[in-house]
Amino acid sequence: MARPAVILVGADKGGVGKTTVSRTLLDYFASRKVPTRAFDTEHPRGTLIRFHPDITDVVDVTSVPDQMKIFDTIESSAAQITLIDIRAGLMLPTLRALRDIGFLDMAKKDQLNFAVFHILGPSIASLDEIAETSKFLVDARYFLVKNFINDTTFFDWDQRTYNSYFNRIKDAVEIKVPKLSEMACEQVELSSVPFASFVADRKANGEAASNSFVLRGYVRHWLNNVWSEYDRVRLMDLIDARGSLTKPRQVIPVAEAS
Amino acid sequence: MCATTVAPREAPRNSAPARAGGPAPIYIVCSPSRQVGKTLVARLITEHHLADARPIAAFDLADEAPQLADYVPGHVAAVDLTDIRGQMALFDGLIANDAVPKVIDVGYRVFGLFFSIAHKIDLFGEARRRGIEPVILFMIDPDPKAEKAYSLLRRSFPGTSLLPARNLIVAKGLRYGDAFPHASTMAASLEISELAPPLPSLVMRPGFSFADFLERAPAGKRLSPKARAELLTWIRRFRFQLREIELCLIYEQILSGLR
Repeated sequence: MARPAVILVGADKGGVGKTTVSRTLLDYFASRKVPTRAFDTEHPRGTLIRFHPDITDVVDVTSVPDQMKIFDTIESSAAQITLIDIRAGLMLPTLRALRDIGFLDMAKKDQLNFAVFHILGPSIASLDEIAETSKFLVDARYFLVKNFINDTTFFDWDQRTYNSYFNRIKDAVEIKVPKLSEMACEQVELSSVPFASFVADRKANGEAASNSFVLRGYVRHWLNNVWSEYDRVRLMDLIDARGSLTKPRQVIPVAEAS
Repeated sequence: MCATTVAPREAPRNSAPARAGGPAPIYIVCSPSRQVGKTLVARLITEHHLADARPIAAFDLADEAPQLADYVPGHVAAVDLTDIRGQMALFDGLIANDAVPKVIDVGYRVFGLFFSIAHKIDLFGEARRRGIEPVILFMIDPDPKAEKAYSLLRRSFPGTSLLPARNLIVAKGLRYGDAFPHASTMAASLEISELAPPLPSLVMRPGFSFADFLERAPAGKRLSPKARAELLTWIRRFRFQLREIELCLIYEQILSGLR
């Protein structure tokens, strides 16, 4: 029987595309027919829930009742994957809380699979947070995500500085999310549907939409590139039915995403 | 900033009603080289339809004079492919199921961009799913980059009709051979023969219309009966070749319907 898997998606600051990455992950697992549920911690209104309302709950991750709602149901839920979109700036506090409630011990004891998608910002502060975050992730998969969707240049980073941080984290894996045309981004936002539904030209209620073929094509191309990254880092190993958490290889080289 | 909803734009309208009886082809006239006859072929295709009072939508991606709109004004939309709105105006219109044939004059400067976008958005795959047959008419020439570009198109768009077209003014003596193999199920070809003076300058004059010439065969003071006859033959020869392509497309359509 497969172990449940928990994915945290977080960032040290807002506006780096954290929820966008969460959405691509939900689409990825949906396309592979993996039962998934999501928790949107942008309490009270939520952001992720707008795109995946059927599988998302809005929670206050700082409140104990909502923490129980998430973590007390991991093993009993029908979902194989629990994705938690952590509000910007709350990743480290959340990891501390998970340590304190014994969640990280469960990962250590192979009772569940745990992964963190750390969406990096262009400032040097992101690099500092990598070091802090990695301390909690001895028994987890740690993905460092460079999101170029917002034309982020990461120019603040000196490559040697970056390498010195990155190479300290033995099992961290870099993922690149390529840029998507601003107009395509806007139209998907307006449509309030998952990326895959936009590509399929469907509205939220399943009816045919009338979105631009060009924009749908660009989103499809972009999403395929993102999913190729997830394939490259063997994300599906998180739900290995035999229950093994496959540790990543040492610093997998990043493929160029077009 | 407020995002705006952008609806897909449609191809330029014709006054004649769309023909009945199924989807219409997209002719993509292209070459990575300049001055090989792309605009001439695009004109001929456009006017071939106009001469029969059939609708056609033409798109001009070239930015060098003379342009398609200089010869067939009112039937051509100029497109800026460097802008996403221009891309949407073109490509969304190409797959519109309006049974209107489309012809695109792909300027040499945007050759790479056009096909890069077409590949990214799977234009030809989507067109075929909608029963619209794309036909790439590649103007061959001796420049090595033409051979490379042709080869790239063959690899990038398998299953899409790729026909080498020869303008004898540019490619006389250039054999198709291994450099430009025919890549289509259609047993058709396209060749533009040379014209004797003063016909080339007459034909290239802005405003000259093949369709008008066919209808009225105007006797210019400087156009001898022999020259007039030569031009008529030249136009009819092209139209004959285009009709062969059209028949092949109809034949393919019938075959797919039977499968």
